[in-house]
Amino acid sequence: MSAGPTESKPANHQHLRRNPPILGEAEAIAAAQAGDERAFETLYALHKRRVYSLCLRMLGNIAAAEDLTQDAFLQLYRKIGTFRGDSAFSTWLHRLAVNVVLMHLRKKGVPQISLEEALEPAQDDGPRRDFGERDLQLSGSIDRVTLERAIEDLPPGYRLIFVLHDVEGYEHNEIAEMLSCSIGNSKSQLHKARMKLRDLLRNGQRKATAV
Amino acid sequence: MNKGRTGETTTDKAIMTCADFQERLPELFETKADLSADEHLKTCENCAALVRDLEYIAQQAKLLLPIHDPSPSVWENIRTAIRNDESSKSGPPPLPSVPPTGV
Repeated sequence: MSAGPTESKPANHQHLRRNPPILGEAEAIAAAQAGDERAFETLYALHKRRVYSLCLRMLGNIAAAEDLTQDAFLQLYRKIGTFRGDSAFSTWLHRLAVNVVLMHLRKKGVPQISLEEALEPAQDDGPRRDFGERDLQLSGSIDRVTLERAIEDLPPGYRLIFVLHDVEGYEHNEIAEMLSCSIGNSKSQLHKARMKLRDLLRNGQRKATAV
Repeated sequence: MNKGRTGETTTDKAIMTCADFQERLPELFETKADLSADEHLKTCENCAALVRDLEYIAQQAKLLLPIHDPSPSVWENIRTAIRNDESSKSGPPPLPSVPPTGV
């Protein structure tokens, strides 16, 4: 059975980024909760790209990202009966996927993986305050590949919050729900993540100009 | 404007250090206000550059989606696992019940 016919088109970027109601999603959820495999396939087609993107950005490895996408959707299949619509389905599914990713990182022995710890990276990994160094300016100088690489180098907790907010477009209240943290925590960690990313990008620029 | 030691900028109206400004920065970003009007930024090139960079990073991040789809084998594997789940739940077909033979 192919997942193609029901796939959402990424033509409108903003449409994908914020959690708009998706035509046919509510009906597909209800049918999948009743055990309809085709309806579940529809849900997979609607959400596979975002779940896979999250996994790939968190792991930086296609095979591992596909494995975790598979795990996340299998968990979805087993738990979809418990979805009550208290939050957007996409947020609920992402919370599930985030847990799958964090479990995987914990198994791999990557530090700072519990939801609480993920939001409090070790001191050494934090961004520096910026009270000087005007020598470099990022504006206009960062291409997509450079930014993707710098994101990969963020500590997992910062990477997660940055990807969810700045890349995927989730709001702080949604992230707080996904990660079981406060909205204030989500905001402050996002700021630290951006600061850390700036450090990484500037360091990359320094190395490039030194060569 | 008087420029004191690194990280401290004073104006006639108020004293705002870079540390003070950067402490407020996460909340300022969240208000989505136009930061170019901020008094500290008007006088502190260092913090203005920081704000420009952070805004630039957030803008560039929005351009990163979408990543391509997972390979078709992912759905194939999910479907197989679902069917295995279902067949293990249902177990072997029940034995035909034996009608009471009566006494």
